[in-house]
Amino acid sequence: MSAVPQGMLWPRTVDEATAMLAADPDARPLSGGATLVAMMNARVLEPLALVNLSRIDELRGIHGEADGGVRIGAFTRHAETAACALLRGPANVVRQAASKIANATVRNMGTIGGSISFADPGLDYPPALVAAGASIEIAGTAGRRRVAAADFFVDWYTTALEPGEIVTAVLLAGTRAGGAAYVKHARVAGDYATASAAVCIDAAGPVRAAIGSCGPTPVRDDDADVLLSADRSDAAIARAAALLDALADPLDDVRGSAGYRRLLIPRLLLRAVRRAEASTDA
Amino acid sequence: MTTTTAPGSTRIELDINGVAADVRAGLSTTLLTVLRDELHLTAAKRGCNQGVCGACTVEIDGVPMRSCLSLAHGCVERPVRTLEGLVETPRIQALQRAFAASGAFQCGFCTPGMLVAAHALLAADPAPDEAAIRRALSGNLCRCTGYARIVAAVQDAATALAAGGAAS
Repeated sequence: MSAVPQGMLWPRTVDEATAMLAADPDARPLSGGATLVAMMNARVLEPLALVNLSRIDELRGIHGEADGGVRIGAFTRHAETAACALLRGPANVVRQAASKIANATVRNMGTIGGSISFADPGLDYPPALVAAGASIEIAGTAGRRRVAAADFFVDWYTTALEPGEIVTAVLLAGTRAGGAAYVKHARVAGDYATASAAVCIDAAGPVRAAIGSCGPTPVRDDDADVLLSADRSDAAIARAAALLDALADPLDDVRGSAGYRRLLIPRLLLRAVRRAEASTDA
Repeated sequence: MTTTTAPGSTRIELDINGVAADVRAGLSTTLLTVLRDELHLTAAKRGCNQGVCGACTVEIDGVPMRSCLSLAHGCVERPVRTLEGLVETPRIQALQRAFAASGAFQCGFCTPGMLVAAHALLAADPAPDEAAIRRALSGNLCRCTGYARIVAAVQDAATALAAGGAAS
């Protein structure tokens, strides 16, 4: 048996990290720790090797791209994303979602790459990234690839990541004029969403909506987006909500019954559309 | 005392309150376990051990974080300050006086985490309004007080610091 390094490993580059993960299928990538360490404390996971991503410069920070887009490094903590002025117009939905995650102390720890890789349906980023039309940059030993956020979230706690791959960045296309809103309904501040709605309005017309915490992955629908892009009356929003409701598959759990979550969908969508219209950096 | 240090633990050096601490920790050993069980720095409390309750809050790299969600091995070369390391600061002293004067505790289990979180708030915002205080402390659960006196104590501490011209 070949000697696989154990303990805390400290890659300095993405290539080093993916090589370490490829060499040991049982090694786990560690980002901010907000989720992984909680699972270790609960003895759900007891890895012998952790690939610590915190010293990889490329994964850190939020950068404006030459084409006006924004690149959020996977190791960017929620507090930094919540404060980032580059995230304006429709992309502001990501900033709003970051500001609603858990509480201030956890936002100082958790990272966007770690959060979306966990892919709990109650998280705040997934519906926001789907509504924003973000793409996820993924690295493995075979190289880099990009996946649309809507395709990244595959099922309960399941993403498009293959074993040994990590998220390296969240990419938002060229900044356009427009507005955005992320509306979260939770039992208490800091809890996972009972249900949430993310809406991005491009000043040129297109509207994208996604519902969170009402199924294994964010709920979105092309027809609902087409409808909202043409007509944002209360009646049109109600029809779009009905289309989304038809695709939703909410759970009965401690945060609310499936029926209660279905009642929230049209209400949160209406609120999100109106707040997106009113958002000041539109 | 039996510690929860995992088998196969290795020695690491951590920077705790400005002092180099030579400790043993397994890969799954949290900073909180090292602080409490190895170093006997017991201000940080083990409440939920899931990052929800805030009783274990300490400063890492100068910002408040959960010591229960921080692996000890991940804290190498990152300065850690616990409440024990902050007690000489004017801000913590003002907060302690205000908490005592207001009766901002009953059992006291949440208090160290509250103080560290409030310390970070006052460092960033010396004159927070009630909403800002409630936001800043929303990750610190108290099951006794109903929070009203805690919020009042933070406001009183801010007022006292402003009156005293203290800045640290």
